Amino acid sequence: MPRIATTVLVLSLLFTSLTNSKAASPVRVIATTTVVADLVEQVGGELVVVESLMADGVDPHSYRATPRDIDRLVRADLIVANGLHLEGKLAELLQRIGRKRPFVAVGNAVPKDELLSIGNDLFDPHIWFDAKLWSYCPSTVADALSQLDSKSAATYRQRANKYSKDLLELDKNVRKKFKEIPQQRRVLITAHDAFRYFGRAYGLEVIGVQGTSTESEAGLADMNQLVELVVQRHIPAVFVETSVSDRNVTALIEGAAARGHVVRLGGRLYSDALGPAGGGGDTLERALLSNVDTIIGALRVTSASQSIVE
Amino acid sequence: MIHLAFVMAFLPYNTLVVASGVAAVGCAAGVIGTFGVLRKRALVGDAAAHATLVGVALALLVTGQRNLAVLLVGGLVSAMVAIVLLVLIRKFTRTRDDAATAIVLSVSFGLGITLISGMVSRGIPGSGGLERFLLGHTASLTANDALLLGTVSVVGVLCIVVGLKEATMVAFDPDFAAASGWPAATLDLVLIALIAVMVVVGLPAAGAVLVTALVVIPPAVARQWTERLIPMLVIAGLVGFLSALSGVVISSLAVQVPTGPVVVLVATAFLVLSIFGAPCRGILWRTRAVSSLSSEFLTKTEVGVATPTGTERRP
Repeated sequence: MPRIATTVLVLSLLFTSLTNSKAASPVRVIATTTVVADLVEQVGGELVVVESLMADGVDPHSYRATPRDIDRLVRADLIVANGLHLEGKLAELLQRIGRKRPFVAVGNAVPKDELLSIGNDLFDPHIWFDAKLWSYCPSTVADALSQLDSKSAATYRQRANKYSKDLLELDKNVRKKFKEIPQQRRVLITAHDAFRYFGRAYGLEVIGVQGTSTESEAGLADMNQLVELVVQRHIPAVFVETSVSDRNVTALIEGAAARGHVVRLGGRLYSDALGPAGGGGDTLERALLSNVDTIIGALRVTSASQSIVE
Repeated sequence: MIHLAFVMAFLPYNTLVVASGVAAVGCAAGVIGTFGVLRKRALVGDAAAHATLVGVALALLVTGQRNLAVLLVGGLVSAMVAIVLLVLIRKFTRTRDDAATAIVLSVSFGLGITLISGMVSRGIPGSGGLERFLLGHTASLTANDALLLGTVSVVGVLCIVVGLKEATMVAFDPDFAAASGWPAATLDLVLIALIAVMVVVGLPAAGAVLVTALVVIPPAVARQWTERLIPMLVIAGLVGFLSALSGVVISSLAVQVPTGPVVVLVATAFLVLSIFGAPCRGILWRTRAVSSLSSEFLTKTEVGVATPTGTERRP
């Protein structure tokens, strides 16, 4: 503890002397996840340098900070997190550093009554795949950036407004796309409960093999219940996520097959992390669209081809 | 086929798959673990178990595959390395046995955890589920995985059946075995290697932290009931089998109960029952035996005291 405190002190002194000498340098932002990094990137553009604490494909629920991470957090001009306990193992650390460094949790921008409760005053943190919910967040990032770099405040504001508008537009498009899937076939079964907001927004029933956090392990009883559900409702496809192990989903497919119901692997969805730069899912918009296409492609298959073998 | 359908009417497919794999492992671990317990090497299995994490993590890192067989082979290699290290520390340093075991156990476990959290934080593909090797992950076992566990278990028990004479010799009197020209050291290592194999295939069931219970508790139960080796092997196998089976079934009935800990608890229940109730060694039996013995002794003394003439008759 004392060592961290001294580090913070020394670095903040160093930092103030640096910022005094050159004010025009870009704002250095550390975002916790790739999703949040993308948000900062959209708002800040070339005026900021964003780094994500967690790399592509990392599971934020179980991520533990290394000493190097603490170093990176302390050096940043601004720390942006998702909040709402997404960064489960980091929460305490973020809170501690957040008292001394500029810190924003974008999830707090979403009105409480639009959040899904998961009990004990906790809310589901996976807000980003509901484009409308996520559109609340750019303005908080713009505010935080403006405080650090007041000269460009107007630019941040403008970019944030534009991005929010883009997100609302995207929201409308996704809604339209899902219209082509009949209501009773809109069931999304995936490795963990990362898509509850997504499901609520776009009219899909969402069921996770694991709980809301990847930390909870699916028990055998959960598995049996899920197999039952897949078979009963003739669900054509289940999905895996890029940052979560797919072993549970494989066991699920096998269990359904033993009951004579063929359920396919619908594809890989982006959930807690975006894809690598230059890939099809390197921004939130692209990842969301890619997910929508994957889901629609898999659920569009008519149940008629799913033969029931006795 | 009819039997299968009959069983499946009661047990869902996934439970059936998990139960068959884990029960086979439980049975074989009981049988093979017997030699470890008799040889007073119970903790070696624990050190091997904790060392598996390193190998599992490295196997994923090197091959990039999440195949259970690949990961378990990695776990076996690192478990064997840990055992060899243990033997070397014993041989070349003046560290005591228990200290050497504790050192190997904690160091390898620390290394494993470091590797896994490092891989998870770097987002190495597939590393997301590695942490479940700590406590087991039965729910995600597929039929192929269960088949793998079952095959290894059967082969392990066959090894014991074939080499029963040698194993017995080494387990009870390694010095005598060596003196009579047996390759005692090699046989000892083979036995330990077999225990390591069981520990590794027990990983999906109970995880690195708990798996040692599978090779220690059933033999400890069996030891309460018998003084002879063959019955002990049979009882240990049976107890391992039953604990594993009931552990899986119980955890499949209650939502969000992990299988491994339940298996261990069931096995422990067997142990507690045996410690109290087993003939000859059980606590109840012994107190009864002692009280009957002492009352007999007392009566005799009382008789002696009551008839002082008896002493007078002594020459």
